[in-house]
Amino acid sequence: MNLEWQAALDAVIEHPLFAFGLTLGVYQLALFLYEKTRWMIFQPVLVSMVILIATLLVLDIDYADYKQGAQLLTLMLGPATVALAVPLYLNMRRVRQVLWPTLITLFVGGLFATVLGVALAWMFGAETLILKTIAPKSVTTPIAMLVAEEIGGAASLAAVFVMITGVLGAMLGVEVLRVFRINSPAAQGMALGIVAHAVGTARALQESEEAGAFAALAMSIMGVLTAVLMPLAVALIA
Amino acid sequence: MLLRGLSWLVVFQLVGTALNVLFFPVLPGPIIGLVLLFIYLLLQGRVNEPLNEAATSVLRYLPLLLVPPAVGVIVHMSDIKADLWAIIGALVISLLVSLLFIGWLMQLLVNRQARAKDKS
Repeated sequence: MNLEWQAALDAVIEHPLFAFGLTLGVYQLALFLYEKTRWMIFQPVLVSMVILIATLLVLDIDYADYKQGAQLLTLMLGPATVALAVPLYLNMRRVRQVLWPTLITLFVGGLFATVLGVALAWMFGAETLILKTIAPKSVTTPIAMLVAEEIGGAASLAAVFVMITGVLGAMLGVEVLRVFRINSPAAQGMALGIVAHAVGTARALQESEEAGAFAALAMSIMGVLTAVLMPLAVALIA
Repeated sequence: MLLRGLSWLVVFQLVGTALNVLFFPVLPGPIIGLVLLFIYLLLQGRVNEPLNEAATSVLRYLPLLLVPPAVGVIVHMSDIKADLWAIIGALVISLLVSLLFIGWLMQLLVNRQARAKDKS
C-alpha cells in the first residue's frame, strides 16, 4: 500500500479550518502554561504569538493564508469590542462616584502617554514614518491603524506597535503598579486601559471586574479622543 | 439565550459600521457600536440576561481573539529591525512611565476626593 502522507498533510494545512484549529490549540496550550506557572512572562497572547509564528515559519505558511483562516476569530473582535459596554455599564455606579478623577486622568494621562512615546522615539533617532506610526500605539488596533494611515504612518506597522505595547502592558502592568503600591482597582484599570488598550483591558478583567470596567472605559474614551484629536493635532503642527 | 445576546452585539456593531461610513469616518464601527450599546443600556436602566450572557462569554475569549493580529508581527520583521532599539526604547520606557504616572494620578485624585467627602 502506498499511502500519500504528503498529500494528506497538505490537505490538512490547506483546509480553511486549519488556522482556526491551530490557533485554538496553541491558545489552550498557552493558557495551560500560564495557569500552571502563573509567571507573568507567560502571558497567553504573547506565548501563543511566539508558538504560532514559529509554526508558520516551520510549516512555510504565508501570514496572509493564516490570517484568512483565522478570520473566524478576528471577525468576533467587533462584537467583543461592542460587548465591553456591558461591564462598563454594570460598573457605572462606581465610575460615576469618581467621575472627575476619571476624566482628568483620561485627558492628562492619555496626552502624557502619547507625547512621551513620540518624544522618546524621536530622541532615539527613529524615522518620521516610525514616529507617525508610534503616535497612536496606545489605542485599539482598528483605531490605531486608521489614525496612523491618516497622519502618514504605516497602518500594518501600527498594529504591531499596538500589539507590542498591549502585550508588554498586560505582562508587566499590574505587577509594576503593585511594586509602587498602586493597588486600587480604579487606578489599575485606568492605567491598563489608557496605555495598553484591549490586551490591557483583558488583563484588568482577570484582576477584578471593577478594574476591567475602568479599563474598558479608559480604552474606549482614549480611542475616541485619539481618533478625533490626533489627526487635528498633526495637521496643526505640520 | 446566548444566541439572542450575540445577535444584539452583531447588530450594534453593524449599525456602528453604517454610521462610520455615513458620519464618522475616523471612528471604527465597533467603537461606535460600543458607545451605542452603552447609551442603550443607560436608557434601559439594566442589562437583560441574553446580552449579559453573550457579553460575558465573548469577553472571556477576548485574549484569544487578539492572537491572530498579534501574529501579524511576522510581516514587519525587517522594518522593525531597522529601527529596533529606538522602537523598543520608546515603547518600553513610555509604557512603564505612563503606566505609573496614570496609576499614581488616578489613585491620588480618588483619595483626595474621598478625603474631601469625609470632611464635608
